[in-house]
Amino acid sequence: MPAARRTNDFVVGLTVLAVTITLIGSVLWVRQTDLGDRTRRLTVRAREVGGVALGAPVVIRGVRAGRVESIALGDSGWVVLRLGLARSMALPKDPVVLLSAASLFGEWQVTVTDATGVPADEELRRGIAEARAGGDTLPGAVLPDIAQLTTVAGRLAGDVAKVADRVQVAFDDDAARELRESIRNVAKLSTGLARTVDVQSRNLDRLSVDVTTGVATVNRSAARFDAFAGRVDSATSRGELQRIVANSQRAATELEIAATNLRALSERLDRTEHRVATVVARIDSVFTRANGRDGTLGLLLQDPALYQQSDSLVRELRAFVADVRANPRRYLAVRIF
Amino acid sequence: MALTAAVESVGRVTRELIAPVGTGARFTGDVLRALRATRDWIPEFSTQARSLGVGSLPIGIFIALFTGIVLALLASYSVGDVVPPYFVGTLVQKTVTLELAPVLTGLALAGRVGANIAAELGTMRVTEQVDALETLTFDPLSYLVAPRVVASAVMFPVVVGMAMLVGMVSGWIASLLILDLATPQFLKGVRFFFQDFDVRYGLVKSASFGAAVALIGCRAGLTTMGGAQGVGRSATRAVVISAVMILVLDAFWALIWLTNRTLR
Repeated sequence: MPAARRTNDFVVGLTVLAVTITLIGSVLWVRQTDLGDRTRRLTVRAREVGGVALGAPVVIRGVRAGRVESIALGDSGWVVLRLGLARSMALPKDPVVLLSAASLFGEWQVTVTDATGVPADEELRRGIAEARAGGDTLPGAVLPDIAQLTTVAGRLAGDVAKVADRVQVAFDDDAARELRESIRNVAKLSTGLARTVDVQSRNLDRLSVDVTTGVATVNRSAARFDAFAGRVDSATSRGELQRIVANSQRAATELEIAATNLRALSERLDRTEHRVATVVARIDSVFTRANGRDGTLGLLLQDPALYQQSDSLVRELRAFVADVRANPRRYLAVRIF
Repeated sequence: MALTAAVESVGRVTRELIAPVGTGARFTGDVLRALRATRDWIPEFSTQARSLGVGSLPIGIFIALFTGIVLALLASYSVGDVVPPYFVGTLVQKTVTLELAPVLTGLALAGRVGANIAAELGTMRVTEQVDALETLTFDPLSYLVAPRVVASAVMFPVVVGMAMLVGMVSGWIASLLILDLATPQFLKGVRFFFQDFDVRYGLVKSASFGAAVALIGCRAGLTTMGGAQGVGRSATRAVVISAVMILVLDAFWALIWLTNRTLR
């Protein structure tokens, strides 16, 4: 074999080997391939994996601890993930796996956390509980996607845009002119208001002087009232007031009795008046009849002969009485037994 | 008569367009058959591999060096304020391994290797060395074409692999020195979406580029006519057709391997 050919073979072989080894080494390094079996494998079961892809980081307490090595569909609608973690990483007591978006740019990560650290989301916890399979398989669930939030944010942004459009439509040149006019009016108004405030301020000053005077007067009155109260207090302390009150009570009682008596007297007067009225009416009736020629008295009053006869009778009666007085035995015989 | 002439001209144009495809396919088939004569072409393999591959490493490295720097800057310029900075590493890795290292290196080697082969074989053709081989019952395809095609197909991935490494490293250094990106950030971006497929895709593609460039150069050289001018025309034709063929093959492999493929 010629030397030139051997040299060619060596150079080509060296180049190929060097490039191939370098390339393979680089790929293994970039892939973080575990050559010394320093990786611990975990199997996770979840209903779905969201945006988690091969190579996605596995995080424990916020520290990157490994990566997702495989994703495969399992039985009964489960998805089985295989995680590669550094052996030195200690797992939580009751480990569960949360699959969540790591940023707004479509990156997802796998978080291994304790079951007590799962967010208080009922659906999430139900998903974790459902995914528990026992053994070495960890339960996993997908946290709500950022896309949901961005959807809501998008809706809000749309609303804001609509409002902005409406404001833009409403705020045309006329509106701007009116707004300028309004500002001018407000300026005038504020000037007038300032003047009014100045006047009212002076009024208030005067008023405050009056109020001060009034307060002084009230203070004096209060002092007087205080003195009066002192005297009242003094009188009260000596028992005079009690006596006055007691006397007043007695006087009131007596006044009440007198009023009662007056009321009874008044009632009796009413009745007496009524009787007097009745008597007057009868007397009037008697006088009426006496004025007429009906009855004995009318005849007596109207008939002179009757008067004369009566007069004659009276005289005879007087004579008879005189005779009786003079001679009682003639007319009276008094016997006992 | 005029109508007949028009139809004939259409047929002639069509035949002239299709004929190179047919002759090229037949040439490729002949080369594949010639590969069976391993005793003829294996002794020449290392010579051609050193000439076409090892000799092309400097140009591949040079291209990749600047490609990596430019890619890092372009990535930062294009999306620097929109996405996290570590995406510079992702963009550099994906672009270098999937596209730029194979295609740019392939285009550069199409000029160097294609023109070299076409000129060498064209000169042999016009100086009747090829005729002498045929007279001595040696198959020119086994002796001349097969070792060049195999060497080119094998060494192109080597050059491209080196270009991938250099492009990544230059992009990394550019990110550190020019973009103030930390090494962990750059590596995070590189690793985040890295798949073995990226490298495989680039290497397989470059192997097809190497085979195509060598086949086109050999065909152009063996069909050379007319002396030195003919050699020049063959070299030019080989470079042009190789460059076009590289882009066609690039699209072909993208359609075959990237359609309906995601990072999952």
